[in-house]
Amino acid sequence: MSALVEVARPAPPGALLPQRVRRRRRTVAPYLYLAPGLVLLAVWVYRPLAQTAQLSFLSWNLLPTSPAVPVGWDNYARLFALPDFGASVLRTLGLIAGLLPFTLLVPVLVALAARRVSGRAARAYQALVFAPLLVAPVAGAAVWSWLLEPRAGLVNRALGTQANWLQEPGPAQLAIVVITGWHVLGFAVLIVSAGLTGINADYADAAAVDGATPGQTTRWVVLPLLSPTLGFLGLMTVLLAAQWSFPLVDTLTGGGPIDATTTVYYLLWDYAFGSFDAGLGAAAGMVFFAGFGVVALLLVGLTERLVVHDS
Amino acid sequence: MTGKATTWTRAGGHLVLGGLGVLCAVPIYWLFATSLRRPQDVSSAALLPWPLSLQNYADAWAALDLPTLLGNTALMATAIAAGQLLIGLLAGYAFAAWDFRFSRALHLAFVATWLVPFQVTMLPNYVLLHQLGLLNTIAGVVLPQLCSALGVVLLRQHMLGFPRELLDAARMDGRGSWRILWTVVVPNLGPPLASLAVLLFINAWNEYFWPALVLQRSNAVLQLGLRSFMGAEGNDWGPMMATAGMACLPVLLLYLVLQRRVVDGFVRSGLK
Repeated sequence: MSALVEVARPAPPGALLPQRVRRRRRTVAPYLYLAPGLVLLAVWVYRPLAQTAQLSFLSWNLLPTSPAVPVGWDNYARLFALPDFGASVLRTLGLIAGLLPFTLLVPVLVALAARRVSGRAARAYQALVFAPLLVAPVAGAAVWSWLLEPRAGLVNRALGTQANWLQEPGPAQLAIVVITGWHVLGFAVLIVSAGLTGINADYADAAAVDGATPGQTTRWVVLPLLSPTLGFLGLMTVLLAAQWSFPLVDTLTGGGPIDATTTVYYLLWDYAFGSFDAGLGAAAGMVFFAGFGVVALLLVGLTERLVVHDS
Repeated sequence: MTGKATTWTRAGGHLVLGGLGVLCAVPIYWLFATSLRRPQDVSSAALLPWPLSLQNYADAWAALDLPTLLGNTALMATAIAAGQLLIGLLAGYAFAAWDFRFSRALHLAFVATWLVPFQVTMLPNYVLLHQLGLLNTIAGVVLPQLCSALGVVLLRQHMLGFPRELLDAARMDGRGSWRILWTVVVPNLGPPLASLAVLLFINAWNEYFWPALVLQRSNAVLQLGLRSFMGAEGNDWGPMMATAGMACLPVLLLYLVLQRRVVDGFVRSGLK
């Protein structure tokens, strides 16, 4: 997603070559260098996207032998009539809300605390916080299913509880949020720390000279200057939360219990490969694709308006 | 007075950070601790796994043919990372070194793939792999993932910052664009290229969705072998933790050795 941020940064195209050479080289060369990537994109991203759009107007059960029947807008009508659809959108919103503390609040607190700790120790702590990001999602799911095991699991023993974490709706939702948060926390801490390092210390010094307390400096100087970083992390959380938790949902709860952990992407997966309703799955895919696209544009516009730029 | 205050705030900083660090590391520690206990001690809550035993690894080995899985996973991750790096280099070079028609539109075509979720394209891609006869093969996992927008965008960005004097000098020597790419650009792109390579390898190693779909019948990579341990009634925790340990170990070792590169790669990239 960083690309959304990076395209906005103006970079002179073709700055590598002086004007004269560039004009002479208006040849096929750049297209040849681009060809492998473009062919792969066309075959593996844009062709299937177009086919999914097409498929959303068909009824097909994935069997090569059975024909796909055109059904017009029926799949979309069916999708919006299904209670699963609205429920999964609401659950995804809940997941996003649950993850925001892990991607915004805690990273900011941690990065601020890290400034008070000397270099080597801070790096060691960050290395520990970062490590879960490198654990494969399935391995993370495996160890957490062991930690959350009702009788012998470490969590129930440590908390003195007897919850059957992954078999009850509320606890299962909490578990998915916490495990996803555990995976991405280190990344968010790293990004916020990088953002903090990039802030010119002169501003804070000037505020201190003017008699601002450290708390005031943080609230009125540092946090506003950090807003582009926070906007980026917020955008990523909204767009990717359901993606991040997908492998956990698939391996730990299978969307259950009683659909409590079925997010939009899991619903999509289930329509296509669970109930073999390819048309319905494709319709859901198109709706979510368009929905996330609109949300992304709105949020990019909003953060552009709200963030404070260091100038 | 102030000295005391800074000591206290510093202690607070250590407490917050250290506490969080330990909390984050506990699951990883417990994964390896459990895997190293004797099978009869697996449910023990003792902090240190003692006496140590490799029996869980032996059991996992017997159930899963771990060497083949490790080999397949390494092959898959290497092929994906190498392909993404090569294609990213070529495309990034095209965007950075030439000013050509549709350059912006084509760059946007790469960037826009971020907005297309995997779940939207999976079905047609699955059908195409079926038609090509590549289901249940490693090639079927690698092929659709060979082009990474991340690689293209990041390498373009790095090449735009490349000192143009070097390129001009190379061109004066009469070298063609292909030779300039490999003899001037790539050797001077060392650190960011290494960071990106490590990042792409880790992402490919940990990949789950697409292998799960393509290798449905064979469970031929570690992540899937691990999944086959899960979900069944009465999990066999010891061998399962041993397999999970094997699935994480290469990446964690890479992190220990190349910590700066790994962190650098992730910071630059955003999270895929």
